[in-house]
Amino acid sequence: MSLQAIVGLPMGSLALDVELSAGDGEVIGVLGPNAAGKSTLLRALAGLSPLRRGRVVLDGDVLEDTATGVLEPAERRRVGFMFQDSRLFPHLSVLDNVAFGPRARGLSRGEARRRAEEWLRRLGWTAPTSVRPRTLSGGQAQRVALARALATEPRLLLLDEPLAALDAGARAELRRELRRHLSSFAGTCLVVTHDPLEAMVLAERLVVLEEGRVTQAGRPEEVRAHPRSRYVADLVGLNLYRGRAAHGTITLANGSTLVAADGVAGPDEVFALIHPRAVALHRERPEGSPRNVWPGTADGLEVSGDRVRVRISGPVPLVAEVTPAAVGALRLDDGGPVWASVKATEVVVYPA
Amino acid sequence: MTLDDGTVRADAVARPELADGGSAVEPRTARSVGGSRRRAPFGFVPLATLAVVFLALPVIGLVVRAPWREIPADLTDPGVLTALRLSVVCSVSAVALSCVIGVPLAWVLARVSFRGRTLVRALVVLPMVLPPVVGGVALLLAFGRNGLAGQWLDRAFGISLPFSTAGAIVAETFVAMPFLVITVEAGLRSLGQRYEDAASTLGAGRWTIFRRVTLPLITPALGAGAALCWARALGEFGATITFAGNLPGSTQTMPLAVYVALQNNVGGAMALSLVMLVVSLAVLVALRGYWFGGR
Repeated sequence: MSLQAIVGLPMGSLALDVELSAGDGEVIGVLGPNAAGKSTLLRALAGLSPLRRGRVVLDGDVLEDTATGVLEPAERRRVGFMFQDSRLFPHLSVLDNVAFGPRARGLSRGEARRRAEEWLRRLGWTAPTSVRPRTLSGGQAQRVALARALATEPRLLLLDEPLAALDAGARAELRRELRRHLSSFAGTCLVVTHDPLEAMVLAERLVVLEEGRVTQAGRPEEVRAHPRSRYVADLVGLNLYRGRAAHGTITLANGSTLVAADGVAGPDEVFALIHPRAVALHRERPEGSPRNVWPGTADGLEVSGDRVRVRISGPVPLVAEVTPAAVGALRLDDGGPVWASVKATEVVVYPA
Repeated sequence: MTLDDGTVRADAVARPELADGGSAVEPRTARSVGGSRRRAPFGFVPLATLAVVFLALPVIGLVVRAPWREIPADLTDPGVLTALRLSVVCSVSAVALSCVIGVPLAWVLARVSFRGRTLVRALVVLPMVLPPVVGGVALLLAFGRNGLAGQWLDRAFGISLPFSTAGAIVAETFVAMPFLVITVEAGLRSLGQRYEDAASTLGAGRWTIFRRVTLPLITPALGAGAALCWARALGEFGATITFAGNLPGSTQTMPLAVYVALQNNVGGAMALSLVMLVVSLAVLVALRGYWFGGR
C-alpha cells in the first residue's frame, strides 16, 4: 500500500473524517456534492491544512501523525497538486511555471528549464513556451498545470476538479490526455470530481464523500449498480429508497411500502433501487399484475436523449423515463395526477 | 448509458440558462448607466463647484504668482540646493527603512492571525491620524537623549538621533510608513494564498515563496505604497522640526526650508513649493492606474 491516511479536521460546521488507502499506480476518484470536503481532503493530504487528528503515510514515510506530532510541511511532501483554477503564476512564462518545481527542489536554472521543456513536450505542448499564462485558454492552462505538477516527480498526485472550469470540447480532450498520463503514472493519484463520467473514465476506484464522511467506496461499476446514498443514485439517474424489509415488503420512513420479488426475509434495513425505465405511467389507476402502484403528480419534465424523464411527487417520489409520445398521450405536461406502477421483479434490493 | 444520458441532460439544461443569464445582464447594465444620469439634489451642483474652486485656487495661485523668471536662479541657490538634496536623501532613506520593516509587518498582518492583531493594526494607523507635532514630541520621549530607548542607544552605542539627519529620517519614517504598510497589506489580502499554496506544493520553502511568488505579485501594491510613503515623507514638516530640529544641511528639509524662506526669500519659497507640487502631481500620475484605474 502506497498511501494510508486517516484524516480528521474541522470544516466549518462539519468535520472531515475520512480513512483512505491506495496502492501504487492506483487512481482513486473522490466523488461528492459541493462542500462535502473533497478539496479539504486533498489540501490535508498535501499538507496545506494541518490535521486535527489522524495520520498520513506515503510509501512508508510518515508525513503527518497527530499522535506523535510529526508534521512534514507541504514543500517536503513530494505531492503534486493540480488546482481547478490552474493557479499558474501570472508573472512567469509557461516554461518557468513548469520549471518552478524542479528549481525549488534544487536544480539549476538551466537544468530545471530542460526538465520543464521535456514535460511540456510529453504533454503534447506545441505552442510557444515563452508566453504568460493569461494568454492561454482554459484547456491550455490546465495542460501546463498538469505538466507543472508532474515535473516535480511526485509520489502522490492530487487533482482537484481538474476539468471543471473547462468548456465541453476542451474537457473531452483534456480528459483523454489525463487518462493517458494517469495510466502511466507510477504513484498514487486522487481525482476529485463531481462529474460521474469523469470519475468512471479516470478512476479505478471511487470514494464517495458526503458531509465529510465516506458514504460509499468501491469499483465504479459497483458504485453505479448499487448506490448507497441519494446523491449517488441521482448522479447515475436511478431511484433509490431506504427502508425496513420484512416478508418481501419494504416499509419506507414515511410509511409507504414497496413490494420486491427477490426474497427479502428481513427484518433488515435495505436499499431498494428502481430504474426509471421500469416505471410505467398511467392516467387512470392501472388494473392487473403490477404489485407496486402509487398515485402522484407529474411536476417536472426533462429531455434526456430520445427519452423524457418525468419527476413524480407523491408518497413514493419517483423519476420515470418515458417516450415523448407517452408524454403527449398521458398529457403529462399539465402537471395533473398520474399513477406510477412498477413490477415487483424490477425492484432491486440490497442490504443497507 | 444512464451516465452519458445524465451528462448530456445536465449540459442541455445548463446552456439555455446561461444564455438567459447573458441576455438578462445587458438591460441591467444599460439601466445602471441610465442611473448615473440622475439629477443632483437642489444646490449640490453650485456647492460642488465651490469645492472644486476651493481646491484648485491655491494650486492656480502658486502657478500664476510664481516668479517664473527668477526660478532658475532661486533653484540653484546653494541653500535651496542643500535643502533639496537633504530632502531626497531623507525621504528615500525613509522609504527604504519603511520597506525593510514595513513589508514584513504588512505580511504578518495579512497572513498570520494572532491575538492583538487589531491592536497592532490600530498602532500602524495611529501616525496617520496623530498630529505630526505630537508625533515629534512622542519620538523625543522615546528616542531623545533621555528617552526610553534613546538613553540606552546613547549609552551603548553613542548614537543620538535628535537634531541629526538620522533623526529626520526616523521622523519621516514614523509618519510615512503607515501608508506603505496599509497598501501592501491590502495587496497581500487581495492576492490571497492561492499562489503561495501552489508554490508550496511545488516544493518551495517560505523564503522562496516570498521571493519568487509573493513579492513579484504584490509589486503594484508595493509600488503604490512606496510612492505614497515617499510623497508623505517628502512633505513631512511637524514631526521633523520637533524631533530633528531645523538645522540647514543636516535636518532642514524642503518643507522646513520653504517655511523659513517665506520670511526672507519669498521667491525661493515659491520655487521650492513648485518643485514639491510637481513631485506630488508626478506621484498622482504614477498612481492613477493603481488608484483610479477603471473608474
